Amino acid sequence: MNTEAGSIEKKKEKRSEMIRKLGPFFALIVLMVFVTIMNPNFIQMGNILNLLRQVSINGLIAFGMTFVIITGGIDLSVGSTLALSGALGAGMIAGGWSPVVATLAALVIGALLGAVNGTLIAKGNTAPFIATLATMTIYRGLTLVYTNGNPITGIGDSFFFQFIGKGYLFGIPFPVILMAIAFGILYVVLHKMTFGRKTFAIGGNENAAYIAGIKSDWIKIAVYSISGLMASLAGLILTSRLNSAQPTAGTTYELDAIAAVVLGGTSLSGGRGRLFGTLIGALIIGTLNNGLNLIGVSSFYQQVVKGIVIIIAVLLDRKND
Amino acid sequence: MKKLVALFGASALLLGACGTTGLEGNDTGDNGEEGVESVARDEMTVGLSLSTLNNPFFVSLQEGVETAAEAEGTDVRTVDAQDDTAKQLNDVNDLIQQGVDVLLINPVDSAAIEPAIESANNAGIPVITIDRSSEGGEVITLVASNNVEGGEMAAQRIIDLVGEGAITVQLEGVPGASATRERGEGFMNVAEDGLDVVDSQTANFNRSEGLTVMENMLQSNSDVEAVFAQNDEMALGAIEAIEAAGLAEDVIVIGFDGNDDALAAVEEGRLDATIAQQPDEMGRIAMETAYEYFEGGEIEEYIASPLELIINE
Amino acid sequence: MKIQMKDIVKSFGSNKVLLGVNIDIKSGEVHALMGENGAGKSTLMNILTGLHKYDSGTVIINGEERTFENPKRAEEEGISFIHQEMITWPDLTVLENLFMGREKKTSWGWIKTKEMREIARELFKELGVNIELDRGMRTLSVGQQQLVEIAKSLMSNAEVIIMDEPTAALTDREIKVLFTTIEKLAAKNVAIIYISHRMEEIFAISDRITVMRDGISVDTKPTNETDKDEVVRKMVGRDLEDYYPNIETENGNVLFEVKDLSDGKVYENINFHVHQGEILGFSGLMGAGRTEIMRGIFGIDKLTSGQLFLDDEKIDVKSPSDAIRQGIGFLTENRKEEGLILDDSLIGNISLPSIEEFSRSGWINTKEEKDFAELLIKRLTVKTVSGDVPVKTLSGGNQQKVVLAKWIGAGSRVLILDEPTRGVDVGAKREIYMLMKELAERGVGIIMVSSDLPEIIGISDRVIVIHEGHIAGEMDKADLSEEKIMTLATGGYK
Repeated sequence: MNTEAGSIEKKKEKRSEMIRKLGPFFALIVLMVFVTIMNPNFIQMGNILNLLRQVSINGLIAFGMTFVIITGGIDLSVGSTLALSGALGAGMIAGGWSPVVATLAALVIGALLGAVNGTLIAKGNTAPFIATLATMTIYRGLTLVYTNGNPITGIGDSFFFQFIGKGYLFGIPFPVILMAIAFGILYVVLHKMTFGRKTFAIGGNENAAYIAGIKSDWIKIAVYSISGLMASLAGLILTSRLNSAQPTAGTTYELDAIAAVVLGGTSLSGGRGRLFGTLIGALIIGTLNNGLNLIGVSSFYQQVVKGIVIIIAVLLDRKND
Repeated sequence: MKKLVALFGASALLLGACGTTGLEGNDTGDNGEEGVESVARDEMTVGLSLSTLNNPFFVSLQEGVETAAEAEGTDVRTVDAQDDTAKQLNDVNDLIQQGVDVLLINPVDSAAIEPAIESANNAGIPVITIDRSSEGGEVITLVASNNVEGGEMAAQRIIDLVGEGAITVQLEGVPGASATRERGEGFMNVAEDGLDVVDSQTANFNRSEGLTVMENMLQSNSDVEAVFAQNDEMALGAIEAIEAAGLAEDVIVIGFDGNDDALAAVEEGRLDATIAQQPDEMGRIAMETAYEYFEGGEIEEYIASPLELIINE
Repeated sequence: MKIQMKDIVKSFGSNKVLLGVNIDIKSGEVHALMGENGAGKSTLMNILTGLHKYDSGTVIINGEERTFENPKRAEEEGISFIHQEMITWPDLTVLENLFMGREKKTSWGWIKTKEMREIARELFKELGVNIELDRGMRTLSVGQQQLVEIAKSLMSNAEVIIMDEPTAALTDREIKVLFTTIEKLAAKNVAIIYISHRMEEIFAISDRITVMRDGISVDTKPTNETDKDEVVRKMVGRDLEDYYPNIETENGNVLFEVKDLSDGKVYENINFHVHQGEILGFSGLMGAGRTEIMRGIFGIDKLTSGQLFLDDEKIDVKSPSDAIRQGIGFLTENRKEEGLILDDSLIGNISLPSIEEFSRSGWINTKEEKDFAELLIKRLTVKTVSGDVPVKTLSGGNQQKVVLAKWIGAGSRVLILDEPTRGVDVGAKREIYMLMKELAERGVGIIMVSSDLPEIIGISDRVIVIHEGHIAGEMDKADLSEEKIMTLATGGYK
């Protein structure tokens, strides 16, 4: 091989990799600058913390979704998982359980709901879209059955539970801190540990991964469990923030999470993706929601703008391929 | 990643110094009892948070607010929660960030709106809720139709038309929605003793579901004499099912809301009655109340928006 | 139709596939195109039919320079390509496949099945083919499918038909049918470009032979003016003995043994063993069940019976991860589908089966992993700019080396290689043979499945021939010949 051509190719490869990695980041900066020019209130610390707190719920769900999408799957049930585990958690607290125990139980339930998805997909050989479409309906139905269609209130004023959604630590909203912790842990799991490597391998080429000795079934079940766990954590934050568990909470949240993942440059066909990109993707969506409200754009146009941003992001990603 | 940690670290230090660790809403500011700082009508900015704009009712409500505001040169910032409780909380926070003078909030859910109201309280921004109440926080007033009373009116109308003990079915709205609860509650207040309610199922405030749910109900209860639908959309769907079954003469249908289609159906004699709300009026009253508030007027805790039984005379 | 291709040059990325090829095709001739795998035959034909663009050169058709935009266009103008791996619709019927995209329709869009049926019947009769038109394509044998493809290309009134290894999966009877058909077509002035490795066939049917080697056209000669030895010499470019490394390896004790292996479908009662340091060849026709046997051994597909022994001890293999733990490696026949994660880096691919060895309680030691993989990359002389680039940027031969590196890295003691040199250029091929010999010298037992007869004969210490799911025979190196293997593979000696 011609070494000169090789090094040029290498440079090219590196540059497109840089664009792919940093593209969403620059897009976020441009967006933030734009909104700031239109309404300087945007960049004030108060609003930034407000924005981060708003992002935390979608962010957490999207982190779990990133794992799922990297395996080449999809999890449509996250919104319903959020509602069901939130409702069960709230119900337990309202029923007199210790809030700490109820919170942990709700997280375990979320992970189990995810594990059901994973088992259907890995062991039952169902397409992820179909399996999670079905559980999306089932979990939503169970939420309505459990709550009887009414919001669950009377969660009381347990400092612990209130703190999850409404707390501040050193001036930073606690949901934001939870998001940061989840990001840190999941980042390491995805990018530094064998589990993450296997996740990428399954998404890159499931047959090859299997033949290389990876127990793809178990990895998949674990990945969907992570997605369920993140959804239930988001559900607890939401329940705490709203001081009630809503039976219809989280409807269509799966779409925002998928959008964040895709904006972050993770490929829907699996095998490629980064958690940092998803964080940026969630921030972009959050900035759009918050910023367009601040600028005073009509909510009808907001939806149009969000869709266009997603299309642009995906087209740019294609181009870099 | 490193940058992010640095960002969090820096802001933690910055704000940690202020000792701001605790709960949202615990920071009882100095706003509240001190009386109202007056704001001129043409310098006022109003934040309007609506539950959804995907429903003509709330569009009328928005128009009511805007028409009243425009006449006085007031600026209205509208946000649409798309029926999502969490989005509404974010929307209200965004309006607070914009520094609006007053918030008109049409909650998606009475329980879930509480934290948003508390945030506004902390920021010292007065709040008026419209159509649905808040279960907590300080609110100047609630402008709403009395859904419970409307439900009672509907049940009473059935008794008037068919008589005591009429075999009745109810089409409920979205499970958990406050309108569903309140209208159902009012209806049952009267119906419990006055009517024979044989079936009650949800059709999600939706016309096509009203059709199918009614079709199913007619299969099992062919002797139904009256239908109460918790909104007009479902009522209009139910009418289609009843007419298709050839029972138009035997079954009376009562809707709720008084939207344009329903009013026309009453005119044609297909719908027997609707409990009409006046959303534009509701919006106008809310705006007028805000003006009054800033001009130092006394405000009632609850302002009823007129409710009207519409029938074909 | 008259075709001339002059000085055709083509490279894929940094991999130069064609370095200047010249060929001319006349109407009514059967033109054999010969060459080793990777010599560039398929690429040349794909350029002719417009699938690939060429970098330089000229294609002249009927005296005019002409390039087809895509294979469909080429087909419309009379050049059909019947591929080795056919692009058919397996779930549709024979009739639907024949008329795919050119259904007879009324002006209202109704499909005139009856008329189509008659045309198809007429055609099958002419070809002497007897296949029901309503059968699902999937239910046909590979040979029958091939005949349907040929019939299909005739329906488009092709003037040139390219056949890539048409007889690889056919039975003797089917081959006869095919040859009669080819003669009829030639008589009707249709030109046939016939790609094959089988000398007997080439000399039985062709009028002229073009030999390609390493991306150049060596020579074109009328068939009756040349002989097999000359053709082989031109193809290989050196004598066969040089091409396959002539290294004798010591065969040690029995390393791995398979007893009574059956899957209840494709193969039955398979018994064999491989010694330390031995290269055991598996030959047979396509679809005989060789790949399935290997998949069964490796725990990918379920067995109905069978026992595996390593060092005389029974081992339990229920999944690939069990097999890997026991020290078995499996280079699959299609590296893109099963061998590699194409978007992943060389390092990631190489370390995948042994990733646990570079990690402590789940944490990957990336430095150790990188050193390990780069050592293997160097050792196997994989040509790449670095270990971090996606493996899809490499040429076929280098990709195959990455797969080998992966299994060597996993410490395989028994290495199953399924078509290890398929789609690999000639240079890399020899390097792969050298590696196999080197591994054998170190005591690894190698099981090689290959459809390439010269390869099987050149490299194996012992050969087992599979015919329709059974072991048809076994031969030591001294007894090997293409004739004997083919006889066994087609069910002879029974």
